[in-house]
This record gives sequence, C-alpha cells and structure tokens, in this order.
Amino acid sequence: MDSILLWPILVPLLGGLLVLAVPRSVRFWKESITLLATGVNLWLVCSLFDKNLYYFWSWLGFGNIEFSLRLYHFSSFIVIAAGAFAFLIGLYSLSFMKYRNYLRQFYAYLLWSLALANGAVLADNLIVLLFFLEALLITSFGFIAIGSKDSMKTAIKAFIIMGITDICLMTGAIIAGYLSGTLTMSNIHLTVSGLGGLAFILMMIGAIAKGGSMPFHSWIPDAAIDAPLPFMAYIPAALEKLLGIYLLARICLDLFQLQAGSWASITLMTIGAITILLAVMMALIQKDYKRLLSYHAISQVGYMILGVGTALPVGIIGGLFHMINHAMYKSCLFLTGGAVEKQTGTTDLSRLGGIGRKMPITFGAFIIAAMAISGVPPLNGFFSKELVYDGALKSGAIFYLAAVAGSFFTAASFLKLGHAAFLGKISEENKQVREASPVMLIPMIVIAAGCILFGVYNSLPLQHLIQPILSVKQLAGERFAGWPASSMLVVVTCVVLIGALINHYYGVKSEGSGLKAVDHIHYAPGLKGIYDRAEKRYFDPYDIGLKLAGYLSQITWGIDKAVDWIYETAAVSVSFFAGRKARELYKGYYASSLSWALLGFLVIALYLMVTLNG
Amino acid sequence: MFSLLIFVPLFIVMLINMPFGGIRKSAYILAFLLALAQIVFTLLAFFTPLSPLSSGRQDILGNFFNFRIGVDNLTLVLLFCIGLTLLVTLLTGREVVVDQRQRFNFVNLLVIAMAGLNGIVLAQDIFTMYVFLEIAAVASYILISFQKGILALEAAFKYLILSAAASVLMLSAIALLVLVSGDTSFAIISQALRDGSGGFPVKLALGLFVCGFAIKGGIIPFHGWLPDAYTEAPAPVSIFLAGIVTKTLGLYTLIRVVTVLFGQAAYISQILLVMGILSVVFGAWMALTQNDFKRMLAYSSISQVGYIILGLACGPGWGLAGAILHILNHTVFKSLLFVNSAAVETKTGTRNMDQLAGLSDRMPVTSFTSIIASLSAAGVPPLAGFWSKLLIIIGLWQAGFKLVAVIAVLASIITLGYLLSIQRRVFWGKLGSELLNVKEAKGGIMISAVLLAAIAIGVGLAFPFIPAAMLNSLSSLLGG
Repeated sequence: MDSILLWPILVPLLGGLLVLAVPRSVRFWKESITLLATGVNLWLVCSLFDKNLYYFWSWLGFGNIEFSLRLYHFSSFIVIAAGAFAFLIGLYSLSFMKYRNYLRQFYAYLLWSLALANGAVLADNLIVLLFFLEALLITSFGFIAIGSKDSMKTAIKAFIIMGITDICLMTGAIIAGYLSGTLTMSNIHLTVSGLGGLAFILMMIGAIAKGGSMPFHSWIPDAAIDAPLPFMAYIPAALEKLLGIYLLARICLDLFQLQAGSWASITLMTIGAITILLAVMMALIQKDYKRLLSYHAISQVGYMILGVGTALPVGIIGGLFHMINHAMYKSCLFLTGGAVEKQTGTTDLSRLGGIGRKMPITFGAFIIAAMAISGVPPLNGFFSKELVYDGALKSGAIFYLAAVAGSFFTAASFLKLGHAAFLGKISEENKQVREASPVMLIPMIVIAAGCILFGVYNSLPLQHLIQPILSVKQLAGERFAGWPASSMLVVVTCVVLIGALINHYYGVKSEGSGLKAVDHIHYAPGLKGIYDRAEKRYFDPYDIGLKLAGYLSQITWGIDKAVDWIYETAAVSVSFFAGRKARELYKGYYASSLSWALLGFLVIALYLMVTLNG
Repeated sequence: MFSLLIFVPLFIVMLINMPFGGIRKSAYILAFLLALAQIVFTLLAFFTPLSPLSSGRQDILGNFFNFRIGVDNLTLVLLFCIGLTLLVTLLTGREVVVDQRQRFNFVNLLVIAMAGLNGIVLAQDIFTMYVFLEIAAVASYILISFQKGILALEAAFKYLILSAAASVLMLSAIALLVLVSGDTSFAIISQALRDGSGGFPVKLALGLFVCGFAIKGGIIPFHGWLPDAYTEAPAPVSIFLAGIVTKTLGLYTLIRVVTVLFGQAAYISQILLVMGILSVVFGAWMALTQNDFKRMLAYSSISQVGYIILGLACGPGWGLAGAILHILNHTVFKSLLFVNSAAVETKTGTRNMDQLAGLSDRMPVTSFTSIIASLSAAGVPPLAGFWSKLLIIIGLWQAGFKLVAVIAVLASIITLGYLLSIQRRVFWGKLGSELLNVKEAKGGIMISAVLLAAIAIGVGLAFPFIPAAMLNSLSSLLGG
C-alpha cells in the first residue's frame, strides 16, 4: 500500500481546481499554480523512477472493481515523459496563451489532463483505466471547444470518434475481464483466439484510436486549426501517443500474448502501414503549417503500430522508442508552429516565407526536429525508425516498403515546409517579425536538445528506459543500442533521404517555389482526383458515418411513420368499422334481444348434447 | 349473525312504512346507516377466521325460518361490494333524486333490493337463492322506471321480459336438479352430482342455469336488455345496477352454482371461454362507437364482465381469484364512472358526448377521478384493475388458453381507447360557450367519487401486501 502513488493524480487535480477557484482578476495565479503543480508532479514521478509500488483501495465494493494503481518500470517511464511534456508545454503556454480567452479553463484542462493521464497509466484495473481514459475525453472536448467560436463542431467530432472507440475498448475490457475472471490488469494473460480474439481486436481499436491511427484520425487535422496550439503539442502529439501506444504495448505484451506472424499481428501491421502511407500523402499537400504537422502526427503513429505489431523484440523496442521520440520532435515542431503563429499571426504557408533569418532559434529547433522526424542520422528518429524497419523487414517486405516510402514522403514534406516557411523571399507583412519570447524558446530548445541526446547517446533511453520493458527472456540477449545492426538498412535509408532531397530540388526548379515543391506529386495523373476528393472529405470516416447515420435515421423515421399509421389510422378505422358492424347486429328490439338469447341457449344446449355423447 | 343482513333490511322496510308521523323522513338516514353497517360488519368479518364453507355456518334465526345460509370469503367480498355500492348509490341519489316522495320510494326499493342481494349471496340452498334473486330483480325493474320516463319504462319492460325468460330457464333447471337429487340444498345436490354419473338431465340443467345466469349478468349474446337499462335508468340506479345487481344476479350465481356446484368440467370452461371472449371483444367494440356517456359505460360493463367470465373459465387457481377480485374492482371503478356521468349529467343536462367538451377546468375532481377509474378499468398499474386483470391473464396462460390470453390483453387496449375517448370528448379540449357556467358537483356525488377513487388507488397500492392466504382461499373454492 504505497499511497504516494495517489499524489501524481491528486497534485494536478487539485492544482486544476485551484486555478478555477481563484477569481480571474488575480494575476499570475493560474500560471504559477500550473508551473508549480506540473513541476511538483515531474519531481515526484522522477523520484519514483524504477520503483515497484502498488496501491489498493476497495472501490465500489462489488465485483472485483477496485481502485488499484501499480507503478513499475514501464508506467514510471510513461508518467515521467507525460510530466515533462506537461511542464514544458505549461511553460510555453505562459507566453503563447497570453491575452487569450478562457485562460483559467485552459490551465485547468492542462492540469486535469495530466492527472487523468497519470491515472490511466498507473491504473492496474481495467475499470479504473477506462474511468481515466473516458474522463480524458472531457478535457479534450473542453480544450478544443475553447479554441475559437467555430470549434464546437470539431470538439463534438473528436468526442464522438473517441467515444465510439472507447466503447470498443470498454467492450473488449469487459470480455477480457470475463474470460480471465479478474479485472486486475497484471493478472490477465489471454491468448488471441476465439472470444479472446474479439477482445483483442476491440481493445486494440481503443488503443490505436487513442494514438490517432487511421481510420480514427479525422478529428486531429480539424483540431489543429480550431484548438489552441499548445493543445496540439500536448494532447495529440504527446499525451495521446504515449497513452495509446502504452496501452497497445500493454495489450500486446501483457494482457494478450501476441505471436509474431499471427493474424492479429498481421492486422496491426497492416493498419500501421496504411496509416503511414495515407496520412503522409495527405500531409504532403497541406498548405498550412499546423495542419501539415497534424497529418504527420497521424502518420508517425503508423510506425509505432507497425513496430509493436511485428511482435518481434526489435520491432516492439523500435515502436516504443519511436513513441517517445515522436512525442519529443512532434511537440517541438508544434511549438515552433506556435512560435511562428504568435509572431506572424498566421500559419498559412503561402503568407509565410523567409522568416528563418528573423527567428533563427525557432528555425534551428525546427531543423533539428524536422531532421529527427525524417530519420536523418544521428538524430533520435533515425535510430527508432531503423529498429522498426528491421522488425518490418523480418515480418514482410511489403511492410518495410511501406515504411520506407513513408519516410520518403515525410522527408519531402518537411523539406517543403521548411523551405516554404523559413526560407525563400520574405513578404512585406513579415518584415517586422521578431524572435519569440524566451519562455517559448526554452521548451523548444530543451526538446530539440533531447532529440539530439536520444540520438547520439541512444543507449541511454534504450538500455535504461525501453529494453527493461521486455523481459530478459524476450530480449534473448539482443542489444539494440548503438549503431543499427544492419548497415544495408542504413544505406537504403540514406538513399531514400537523398532521393527526397533530389525530389525537392526538382520540384523547386520546375515549380519555382518551396511551397509548390511537391505539386508534381499532388497533380500527378490519377493522384489529383483522389486528392481533390480527400480534401473535400469524401474519405473522412466521420463524415461517412454521419451520412450513414442520416440515411439510417431517415429509414427509421419512415418505419416510425408506418408504425404510426398502423396505430393512428389503420387500427382506429378497423376498430370503428368493427364497432359499427357489431352495432348493426343489435338494434334494441325486444324480438331480436330475445332471439339472440334463445339462439345462445340453443347453441349451448347443442354443445352440451354433443359432449354428452362424446 | 349473518342472517341479520337479510332480516334487518326487511325490518327497516317495514319500519319506515309504518304510518307514524316522522318515520318517513328518517328513511334515508336509516338506509345510509344500514349500508355503512354492512361495510363495517363485512370488514370486521374479514379479520376473523372463517370456517370453510362445507361445514356451513348456521345460526338461530336461520334455523327458525328454516333456510340455510353460509359464509366464505367470496360471500364476504360480495357483501362488501353490496354495502359499498349501496352507500354510493344513496349518496348520489341524494343529489339526483330531489323530490321527497320519489326519494322515499327510491330508498324503499333500494333496501328491498339489498335484502334480496344479501340473501342471494348468503343462501346455501338453490331455491332460497332463486327466491332472493327474484326479490332483487323485481326491485330493480321498479328502480329503473320509478321516475316514469317513457324510455326508462321501455328499458325496464325489456329487462322484465328477458328476466322472465331467465326465470323460466332457472326454474326448469332447479326442477331437474330436484329430480336428480331430491333436495334443494347445495350440499346434498353437490353430493348427488358427485355420486351420479350425470346424464342428460344434469347437463340440461347446467345449460339452463348457464343461460339463465348469463341473461341476468348481461353476457353476450344474452345482453339485449343491459345497454338500455343502464342508459335509461336514473343515474344512481345505473350505479346500483352496474355496480352490484348484475354482478350478484349473474356472476355470483354463476360461480356458486355452475363452477362450484357442478364442478369445473372442461366443457363448462369451453362455454365460459367463448361467452367471455365474445363479451370482452364485442362489448369493447360497441362501446367504441357510442356517443352517449352512460351507454358507452354500459357496453364497457359487458366487456369487463367478459373478463370475469374468462377468469372463471380458468377454474381454480389464479384465474378464479382474479375473477373474484375483478368483481370487487369492477364495482369500484364502474360505480365511479357512473358517479362521474351522474355529475356531468346533473350539471350540464346532457349525456351526449358530442355536446360536451373541456369540462376538466370546471369539474376538476370529476375529471381526475374519472381518469383514475378509466386507468383502473384499462388495467394500468398500479391501480386496482391492473392486478385483477393480471391474475386473470396469468390464469388463462397457465390453463393453456394462450390465444385467449393474448386477445384479452389486446382488448384492454380498446378499453383504454374508449375510456380515454370519454376523457377527450368530455373533459379535455375547448370549453363550449354554453358550458361556461358549469360548476363542480357537490355533496354526495363528490364524496362518493373521492371515496371510490381512493379505494381504486388504495387497493392497487396495497395489493402486494394482501396475504397470499386470502387469495388462495378465494381460488380454492372449487377444490372442495
């Protein structure tokens, strides 16, 4: 019973309440509370690192639904990452969110999201896990809803998509609990077959949707436009990836024993590969800084799913390493986007350009993070991608090809983004742009430095944070730190990156600007039509679902009308017709009354005589 | 003691007709106290343990006059209903029958009818039962027509004609029974029927009895007199007829003679089932198209009596218990509806529902109590009618008459349909200009409406607490 485990949940929770409790007019209060709470939380979870703690409280008193928390290597790693991001993004928001509306709500959501994420990661009971994950929907909804006047629609979209997938997760969790007879996560060990297979699929849907995988992704690009930017860096880029992939890894490693080459593994890898390719293709053609990043946030989760889905140690290690790397460089990229938005007032790439000279530190952080996401050695993204490639190649060449193709387009789109935003000719309106405030720069610099650190010195995260997640037996003595084992893969990666560079030069040369560098792909025969439809949301599962729901409600409305007609018209007229006919039989004459009575008597007497003989 | 229930009313009739000065004026009070006393007496008797019917409780007066009476739970239920209906009839009659002379006649006839009804219920002898039945019936003919309206006279005459046919049938049946058993006492007849092989005379007697009682009870196709009589009788008399007279004359006798005395053979069940379902469905359908408030209630009575018959058809068990409870509940809610119709008729001067609308604002208590009664009649939980209908339908299902059970459930939708159409046409909607000055009914009508509504709700809410033993004693009548 280590009640200290409650503090990572309680500290941000109480912090959020304090933020809301104090009047708006008290200055610096909410900011200082946020920094204090996230800082205390970070210090707390760091001090708990690599301990094995367990907290248990009989919660509802029935079933085996108890409030149990468990801290071990994996969960402590995730809560540290979450705490660090919360602290840095809190710091960043001090400057970014200045002079905006709903500030108290924003900071409260920030703190509560942290509390709920900590709770979800520490939970050792499926019901407790669901409780925290569901509650996280509320803060996400709030975050998006306070973004702008029109963001309510996007908030509802996110809420519905996540709500539906959480129902899948819930159903899967209940089936898993039913099959294993317990809801305590550390005691559930199932196989992926029969009902267990259904539970696996359902829980997997919940996990990958949390991570933002296709086809549950479509709210993220919309939120990129509508929600406050720190939300994007915080929730979809960092916390949800951490939670989703943590959950996926728990499902694949603990709750179920995923076997390499099994149908479940193939399914996961297919989802991963498709997500990588489709999302990166959409990212390629975006003309907005934040929207482009948001598609990459979807695309990159494909690598993680692909890696974990291989069920091979190298793939899982790669996927998890990619998870933490992605959280770092994607947050950093969103933060640079926020800096650009704050300083220039726009994220529309056609109105940007040439500001690299004005904002050199932002540009530097961008270059490091963009190189990391493209997988340029020796940054962290390179190493984690190599591990994922290794696992994918061992599972099937097709997955490897998809992953490598994804890399090519990732690199191409970031060359385009960097070129269009920071290089080229500066426009008139951006002449006066200045570097962002230090409060915003510090988080970017810290995270960018982390990207370099995790790349150059990759044995630090791999050996101390990630490898211990797998058991010694699973690792089978393999080592993953250091330079990639297969130099052939490195060569292919380098060739692909150089190819992307050449492609960029070709594009710039033929189209004349960085913004249009990929237009030869965008308007390629065959692709153009697909792109046009995708931009019009023909492929958005949410919109398709809405349309189907519309048809369904029309059909049910028709059925309802028919039922109404039966009740209101058919039944009534039949009854009245029968009533009139029955009245005609009886007019009230003595003779007819008497003869009816005598007729009845005769029938009864006849019936009795028949039964007498029989 | 129970013979007092017959003799005290007779004594009071003699007393109030004595040529003393003031005694006439106290007739109403005496009758009222009599009804009250009967209610209290039966309620007290409910809570004292009873010996079974077969041992027959006889008392000194009964021996002296040489007729046999007996009491069981069924008898007590009926006695309670008689007292209650009489009370409500007197309360309503005070508002409706204004003329002193007419009121005196009205009270006289009611007390005579009461003696007859009590006699039917208590009799343990087939001929005694017949005699009391005729007493009650004759009082009823006159009650229908004592105000000498032309339509009421016609209705009473129609009732008389059909009742004459019923008398012939019943007397013939009694003669046949005496032929078979040599005595008129229930115990001896029952013994003889059990010993003998039956044969044609017994079956003929059975058929004659069924038809005779069915005429008295107004069961389709023997119902010809009933709609006219209920409609044209003065308002309080309608309450009395619908509330208790047809129940006792037709249904109680049917239970006592046909199902208890003759025993529940399969062919009796078949006959009762057919008559019951005909009454339920056709009664409801015909009620649906009526424009006259009371006529709709009259057809509704036929339909509800059909449910009781269906309960009887199930034989011993939940069905029979439900049938007996439905007698009680029907007394309550149908009397209440007739009280409401009396209120509407006295205050607006019409019973034609096409001329009425929007009275709920002017007559809130009447409107509310009629909703309670309608819902109870349609069998909406938690009102009293729900439980008895539920028992009947469970009984039908258990006895294997599943199709009939389904039809019975569906028919209660029609029941709700026409009863709600009363609400819609009379109480809801826009108040007509000629009805602007209508006021809520007062005094006796109001008291009886509230009293009956309270019983309908109270019995419904208290039903789950009624001891199972009481239901069992109701349902095991036929076990012997």
